[in-house]
Amino acid sequence: MMKKALAVIMSAALVGSLACAPVFAENLSDTSEGIAQFDGLTANEPYDFQIVVKSFQSTYWQAALQGMDQAKDELGVTYSAQGPASESDIADQVNMLNSAINGAPAGVGLAACDTSSVLESLQTAADNGVPIVAFDTGIADAPEGSVVCTVVTDNVAAGEVAAVNLYEAIKDQLGDGTVRIGEINQDNYALNIQQRGLGFINKIIELANADGYSVAMEGNEYYVNEAVGAVEGDADIILEVRVPAQTTVDMCSTEAGTILDKEDTIAVFGSNQTAAEGLLVANDNREVLGDTIVGVGFDAGTSIKAAVEDGTFLGAVTQSPLMMGYYCIYALTAAANGQELIDVPTDGYWYDASNMDDEAIAPNLYD
Amino acid sequence: MMTKKKSIFTQEVIVGIVLVALYFFFRTISADFGKYTTFLSMMDISYYYVFMAIGVAFPLITGGVDLSIGTGMICYALAGGFMIRQYGWPTGLAICLSIVFGLAIGLLNGVLIALMGLPPFLATLCTCMITRGLGSVVTGSFAVPWPTAKQPNGWFHSIFKITLENKTKIPLGLVWVILLMLIMQFVLAHTKFGRYTIAIGSNKEAAMLSGINVKFYHVMVYAVSGLFAGLASIAYGAVIKTVQPGTGAGMELDAIGGAIVGGVSASGGYGTIYGTVIGAYVIIFLKQGLPYIGFNANMQQIITGLVLIGAVAIDIVKRKVVK
Repeated sequence: MMKKALAVIMSAALVGSLACAPVFAENLSDTSEGIAQFDGLTANEPYDFQIVVKSFQSTYWQAALQGMDQAKDELGVTYSAQGPASESDIADQVNMLNSAINGAPAGVGLAACDTSSVLESLQTAADNGVPIVAFDTGIADAPEGSVVCTVVTDNVAAGEVAAVNLYEAIKDQLGDGTVRIGEINQDNYALNIQQRGLGFINKIIELANADGYSVAMEGNEYYVNEAVGAVEGDADIILEVRVPAQTTVDMCSTEAGTILDKEDTIAVFGSNQTAAEGLLVANDNREVLGDTIVGVGFDAGTSIKAAVEDGTFLGAVTQSPLMMGYYCIYALTAAANGQELIDVPTDGYWYDASNMDDEAIAPNLYD
Repeated sequence: MMTKKKSIFTQEVIVGIVLVALYFFFRTISADFGKYTTFLSMMDISYYYVFMAIGVAFPLITGGVDLSIGTGMICYALAGGFMIRQYGWPTGLAICLSIVFGLAIGLLNGVLIALMGLPPFLATLCTCMITRGLGSVVTGSFAVPWPTAKQPNGWFHSIFKITLENKTKIPLGLVWVILLMLIMQFVLAHTKFGRYTIAIGSNKEAAMLSGINVKFYHVMVYAVSGLFAGLASIAYGAVIKTVQPGTGAGMELDAIGGAIVGGVSASGGYGTIYGTVIGAYVIIFLKQGLPYIGFNANMQQIITGLVLIGAVAIDIVKRKVVK
């Protein structure tokens, strides 16, 4: 029953996305093929899975667990979820992952804080025949045979869609001297944040170059070094990337404040819920977002939705953590049954005040 | 008999000068740091650190410590916010819950230390872990947003900041900081509780022999610390959009560091609340100011550590001079 209800929502989402006129109301990925592989799936046994999330820091993870609960009820399986205190606690997460694998569960669902730190554990999982489903964050260099399915939003596309919408809003301000675009990334080691951050950066550079403007990078070394097409020295646009020492809202807000205070800043992007909320905290006193500076957020949550609704943010990109959690359990069950799997891309949408209530968007806007 | 004249250059005065110098240093290098909005943001973030610092100064003066205030603050903020969101509690009631929760954990610390004889470090490390987990248990491990200023239950934001008709924002929290500083300084310097706090830190055995109910006052000292962590949780809920479970560890160190920078003796027996507040603002200025001059957050932690070493060194030199 629940699966049917979710399928209706998903179908409505797809239909709704097609019905929405602007190109950016379309889903970031084609999800149909990945989902179709689970048609008629039942669990051969009442499997017990282990889920290791990045943390429980944001309501994003709450939505993911809601999706998992729906799936487990439908399939008659169980799972236990654990995660470190914060997304910076990489070593804690690796310990949790090792414990989970050592318990020889039917499978492990993993949202890795740092994808390179879990590789050894994944090798152990492969050696012991414990299937891993990577969700939220893909693991590019996973040892062969360890990750059997990846359930993620296309993060590069998500960053790009943020860039396209932001660029559209500011392009009339370009050409009259140097301007600054800021980006707050909560870290520089999680693959999804890296992909999102660079997706945004490289798209801005591409769009600016196409219009004859040059872009120079400033700030965090990783993003500066990985950007493609930036120039050294003077440029029409400075793209400044700030990364806090810890993945908390108040640390993000301090970094965001330094960007919002600069006279030449015209736009800023917060690349996940924590970073976007940090932007909003920094804006509380400055009140420049939606006025002199264009702000774009990511994910949902009460305050981000309110900011999009009242115009503080131009808009934001939402993923579907509920769908990710849901299909993570489905993928784990299918893998435990011995089914060969293909990856499952999950929903992602650009949303703003005009389309927040659309059928395609609204179910993804968790509190 | 000639009495030695007390120098006006106490640690509190020196740290006060350092605070002013830091402000002008950051302001000189970065014009943005001098903006009124930057000042407002610094004040917003300062309240919960300063409240924690005022509270923890009391255990520090007894020669103890309270490591539970950081995770405790998050736990109390989660509990209060959860009752508003989940059960529709009025904000006033949720605020009371957060404060009483803090007081209760403070009392538990006091009982563990004064009555059961656990070392303060160990006892409060345990309650640090307990509150870290408890916050997650209370909310089902989920982040909790307190009402925003524009929502019906969001009136509590105006405790810390008000907006005038001409849209100028006034950091009202600074008034509470100054008021609480004066009250607690008076309590420390002019009441029996304050004098006994210092006496316990100077020489616990002598305090007991002189008839002071050391156990009772020791419990009360930790209750004060918990109470202020509870107050800090309200300030935190007002500033940070969403309270995240599992966080808060490490924030107590900034508060403790602030108290020590402000002249509270690391080995107990001496300290002032106005020095504590000034010291806490030194830490806040470093946290907020260093990113403005191009230092990343990792560098600010190194520099804060070096400042603490300097403060403790002054304390050691002071003690040697007294001897």
